[in-house]
Amino acid sequence: MFAYIVRRMFQSVIVLLVVGLVAFSMFRFVGDPIDNMLGQERTQADIDRLRTELGLDQPFVVQYAKFLRGAVQGNFGVSYRQGRPVSTILVERAPATLELAFVSGFLAITMGIALGVFTAIRRQGIAANVIMTVSLIGVSLPTFLIGILLIYVFSVELDLLPSFGRGETVMIGSWSTGFLTASGLKALILPAITLGLYQMTLIMRLVRSEMLEVLRADYVRFARARGLSDRVINFRHALKNTLVPVITITGLQLGSIIAFAIITETVFQWPGVGLLFINAIQFVDIPVMAAYLMLISVMFVTINLIVDLLYYAIDPRLRVDARAT
Amino acid sequence: MILRNSAIGLAMLLASTAQAAEFKWASTTDPQTMDPHAVNSAPVLGFLNNVYEGLVRRGKDMSVEPALAVSWEPIGDGEGWRFKLREGVTFHDGSSFDAQDVLFSYQRASGEASDTRSWFAPVSEVIVVDDYTVDIMTTAPNPLFPSSIANWMIMDQDWTEANDAVVPDKETGNYATINANGTGAFKVTEREPGLKTVLEPFDGWWGDVEHNITRAEFNPIQNPATAVAALLSGDVDMINPVPIQDVARLQQNGEVDVIQGIEARVIMLGFDHEAEALKYTDDAGNPNPFRDARVRKAVAQAVNVDAILATIMRGNAEPASQLVSPAMSGYSQVSSERPAFDVEAAKALLAEAGYADGFSFGLKCPNDRYLNDEAVCQAVVGMLAQIGITAELEAMPVRNYWPELREDNYDMYLLGWSPGTFDAEHPIRFLVATPNEEKKLGSWNFGGFSNARVDELLPMIQSELDQTKRQAMLDEVTQIYQDEQVYVPMYVQPLVWGTRNNVELTQRPDNFFLLRWVTVN
Repeated sequence: MFAYIVRRMFQSVIVLLVVGLVAFSMFRFVGDPIDNMLGQERTQADIDRLRTELGLDQPFVVQYAKFLRGAVQGNFGVSYRQGRPVSTILVERAPATLELAFVSGFLAITMGIALGVFTAIRRQGIAANVIMTVSLIGVSLPTFLIGILLIYVFSVELDLLPSFGRGETVMIGSWSTGFLTASGLKALILPAITLGLYQMTLIMRLVRSEMLEVLRADYVRFARARGLSDRVINFRHALKNTLVPVITITGLQLGSIIAFAIITETVFQWPGVGLLFINAIQFVDIPVMAAYLMLISVMFVTINLIVDLLYYAIDPRLRVDARAT
Repeated sequence: MILRNSAIGLAMLLASTAQAAEFKWASTTDPQTMDPHAVNSAPVLGFLNNVYEGLVRRGKDMSVEPALAVSWEPIGDGEGWRFKLREGVTFHDGSSFDAQDVLFSYQRASGEASDTRSWFAPVSEVIVVDDYTVDIMTTAPNPLFPSSIANWMIMDQDWTEANDAVVPDKETGNYATINANGTGAFKVTEREPGLKTVLEPFDGWWGDVEHNITRAEFNPIQNPATAVAALLSGDVDMINPVPIQDVARLQQNGEVDVIQGIEARVIMLGFDHEAEALKYTDDAGNPNPFRDARVRKAVAQAVNVDAILATIMRGNAEPASQLVSPAMSGYSQVSSERPAFDVEAAKALLAEAGYADGFSFGLKCPNDRYLNDEAVCQAVVGMLAQIGITAELEAMPVRNYWPELREDNYDMYLLGWSPGTFDAEHPIRFLVATPNEEKKLGSWNFGGFSNARVDELLPMIQSELDQTKRQAMLDEVTQIYQDEQVYVPMYVQPLVWGTRNNVELTQRPDNFFLLRWVTVN
């Protein structure tokens, strides 16, 4: 077990290093930050001086090595745009993204499972068919459009919810939360729906098909024959058995909710790390881009590592193979 | 009962101060720093004009008026300028303003680390005469100096020293990057970079208060559709800019107003004047036709500016004949005609230059710098095709665009220029003068145009005190660059702001938004 973990950790580190290398080799195609940092009245000398100061005149491998040296010590450099340490900015922005991801993840799971079960049980019902059709729209419309539509309906036309931002936040230590104020909660609704809609339909369809499968299984028929109530059959026996693949998918989707919050955050001007990343691209803020990409890859690598370790714990065959080799 | 009474009391209090109001506004870019000397860009300087002040400032009509200086006069025959400072001015932290702060701000703003130091290129020395008199000596007579420093903002020496921010630090930031201590009408009370910045009126301000704002909050909103929605739903009171395609729709809406004006920025086409050969498309390697003034003139005549303005800008812009708009000082009245749109004449010019069969070349264009920039370039491509020259358009984000221009990777390009001094001399210095690194001339003259007479006239324009003589020289330079068709000025970019209909404000051609002119009814 220990050797396996060490080996997987080692592989993860290599993946991270490669991601960083690829990222740094791409940065010079993103553009040149110098013009954004200097005004219209700059001279060529100013441009050269700043480029040398930032180390942009060096090959990307050298820049990458410099970044890695800092990153190992927890220093991700200073944002070109804001002139503040990247780590400070990330800590400031992370709560917004994590809270949004948490709420939309929660919405996606609860609504997804509830609707999935409903549509599986009432397979022929009108309501179930309507839900299935609407969910198709949810899957096929781009997030951007859904966000704008929601804003127009709920803030411009009905004037119920704010059109952008996070509302009032409360600081708990270094964590800014929008859960404790009315405006913060109101501001969460539209972005959470926008971000969670796709995952919700995904989970719903997954639960439905699994559920239909399980409802045909022998033990469900047997339970019915025993005269158990529909409630007990549907929720205690059938649902429990559909949840295994759902949990796997949900775990992996959580990562993508955080990573792909970028579009939702841009539409709603949600002050999270996704918006920060978009701004960084526009400004060619290399330290922020590098730190964000590394952070996201650390997250994905960690999730995959945990999944692998769980498989190892669950699936005895892996252990047998490990011993055999 | 007590609660109800206090609620009524509160309501009465609110009614009695109905004039006072909170104000929220949004724009696409967040000012990247609160340090007035660190970054010389319109979003930063425009925002900080609410917080900091200079010796002089610009009024609603862009005219120069007294701010921290009450008066100024030339010294001798133009050796410099003497500024009499305003007495009794305090900074937001309560410390008082005097000549030492001016000297300090000069040193800070003209230092190696400052982005604003080009403003002080003509300055040889700053002398503190007494607590409220400062002499700024220039190397040559400089009639425009006072108007060239309207954005030079004065910082408090003690505050900067106490907070270890004596030198502006753009790369790593310092205390002055997120905090501000000016003398202006508003003080920064909250600053979360990229999220929001809160301003409150400064009670100790020396000027007459015209606004009725009690608290102002700025939020950057990048996505134009979101900004429009925020304005329509009343979440913000003002947005800048309104996307051109939404103007008509917002005008129909009774709750919001669209405020339109003309920005100082002229959009033009530029050429490569130096390269021997074309660099792009099928004819790459062939001799560069744009070195011939007749070809450049043919381009000018082939571009139908009125059509571009009617369709792409939807009637929101004005045609331009020169590198500055008519609102700028030094505009040449005698050269206000732009080449007429005439396809036949353009073809004739091309034939005369030996390109009757046309040629193809590369046109570079930004796609996120100016209003509808890529669409304008596409229109230009179509118009040039009518006279038989084929442009291959390559549009890119501005972050890739400037490096391409610097490396001369174009045959023709699109450029917008907003004169920082609001004077016709500015674009001549940056766009027409022969590039000279040492003298800091022609730094945006990518095409490398060079004319001995222009280079000779420029320093004379810069030091001429007599307005008539100065204008005559400006007219001559304008004539030269029009005759040579160094650039093809197309139009002056529009300014389009949106407000709730209960907001009154002043829109200045430099696109600066000043809270002290805002009233919320």
